[in-house]
Amino acid sequence: MTTDRAKEKAKALLLPLAVLLAFEAWARATHLQSDSLAPPSEIIMALAGAFADFSILTATRDTLFSAFAGLAIGTVIGLALGIAFGISDTLNRLMEVTVEAVRPIPSIALLPIALIALGFGYRMEIVIVAFACVWPILILSRAAVRSIEPRLMEVSRALRLPAAQRVWKIIIPAALPRIFVAFRLSAGIALIVAVTVEIAINPLGLGAGIMLAQQALRPDLMLAYLVWIGAIGYALNILLVVAQHRLFGRAALSGDSA
Amino acid sequence: MKTILATLAVSLALTGAAVAQAKIQVGCTATSDCASAMVAIDESIFKKHGLDVEMTPIGINSNIPAAILSNSIQIGGPTSTVFLQAVDGGLDLVAIAGASVMSPVNQDSIAAFVRNGITIKEPKDFVGKKVGAPGLNAFLHVLFVKWLVDKGVDPRRVNFVEVTFPTMSDIIKSGGVDAVLTAEPFVTRMLNAGLGSVGARYAVELARTEPIIFYAASREWADKNAVAIKKFRDAIAESALIVNGDREKASASIAKFTKQPIELVKATPPNQSEPVLKPEQLSWWIEVMSSQKMLQSRLDTAKLVLK
Repeated sequence: MTTDRAKEKAKALLLPLAVLLAFEAWARATHLQSDSLAPPSEIIMALAGAFADFSILTATRDTLFSAFAGLAIGTVIGLALGIAFGISDTLNRLMEVTVEAVRPIPSIALLPIALIALGFGYRMEIVIVAFACVWPILILSRAAVRSIEPRLMEVSRALRLPAAQRVWKIIIPAALPRIFVAFRLSAGIALIVAVTVEIAINPLGLGAGIMLAQQALRPDLMLAYLVWIGAIGYALNILLVVAQHRLFGRAALSGDSA
Repeated sequence: MKTILATLAVSLALTGAAVAQAKIQVGCTATSDCASAMVAIDESIFKKHGLDVEMTPIGINSNIPAAILSNSIQIGGPTSTVFLQAVDGGLDLVAIAGASVMSPVNQDSIAAFVRNGITIKEPKDFVGKKVGAPGLNAFLHVLFVKWLVDKGVDPRRVNFVEVTFPTMSDIIKSGGVDAVLTAEPFVTRMLNAGLGSVGARYAVELARTEPIIFYAASREWADKNAVAIKKFRDAIAESALIVNGDREKASASIAKFTKQPIELVKATPPNQSEPVLKPEQLSWWIEVMSSQKMLQSRLDTAKLVLK
């Protein structure tokens, strides 16, 4: 069984490998001279070089720090609002216009204002990532709270639990699998937004690394950064999927259908 | 009472000293224009003048005014066009020292590069062509439009699009644009790759000596840091001599800051460094930009440059 699966996985790798080899052969045959493309062998060398001088590791630290800090802040705010809106119909109706008016603003559109108000650095990036992460968490956690089994709420009323305990002991545990799906979604968004902010303005992290490599006419290094960002995104997703299955087991499946 | 005053004076002096020693961040794009600041760091010229300076690479020049106002950088190297548009838009910036100026050396390196299959014999041949500029309303674009106007060609009949420097050779190769407004080392690289020919050396024909990029700060910061600015100017003047006279040292510093391969940097002469900036040097830019309807107000050159 396991060998079959390994074989299947190996087969899936064949196509990308063949494409890379073909590209390498083509680049060598045509003596590729480009400021935006580089053969895979050069990209691997550039990646190794960037690891050797720690530049890519520092950049990774900066990007992940901003992405995770923004994700954490966005999650806390989104969760608090989502649960409040999920519990109180009145609050939800009152806030609906505001939420629907602010939510469609692309987080990147805030960049010019954020630059003047906050300047370069972690702070600006974290604020923009947090803004982007609030919405999916808010919407999904609101839906999750609303779809909690009504009998659980009846139990909490029968037990006369105070509001804080009702949230902590009944609502959050019941909605957690779905909230985690929202968190997974936001984690992907956080990484995308963080790198985009760095490409557009912020002179730190992996996005700035891409821009600097491009301006330095090093397409190999630029693409090495790109490959590395892909690897980080892939690893992050695997980590979250594993965490989801470990933490929630079968309940995670119900979350996926949300 | 006396002791209180004395303590106050001492603490004021201490904070004053602390302000003077605070690190100054200088933000520039990855070009050779701010070479005087790069060399001043590498050759410890800032340090010699008692300044602690660090350079921040900035991706897009037009972000520099906002970066200055947010105090992320205290001094920036905007192009003349970016600076004048920012001030025209109401940002209170002031030029504090000169960086690079147009000179025969860099005029020679600026060109409108035309792809294979297109021939440009005279300026009016650009009519109806798709021309890629590294930034619309930025330095090369404004110069090219000025050149077209001088030659009696209506720039509105040329189709301008934005093409960044690193993507130029690929876009020219694919025929995505008919021409690009570019400079060295890109001209030589594209010529060597056989991608096309030089359509016009428009900067040579304009033959100007106005500033390309200069050092600017917010007026508020400049007013509070008169001593630091004096030191900055002295250091830049000293290091400009190295930029203009010692290609080896200048190239090493430029390669270090821009991360460009050293061979590539050495292949292109750095832009002429001119540490002194006079208000009247901005008049030509104001006139050209006003005629291209890029400025709304009448700017007073005397206020634009710090005395």
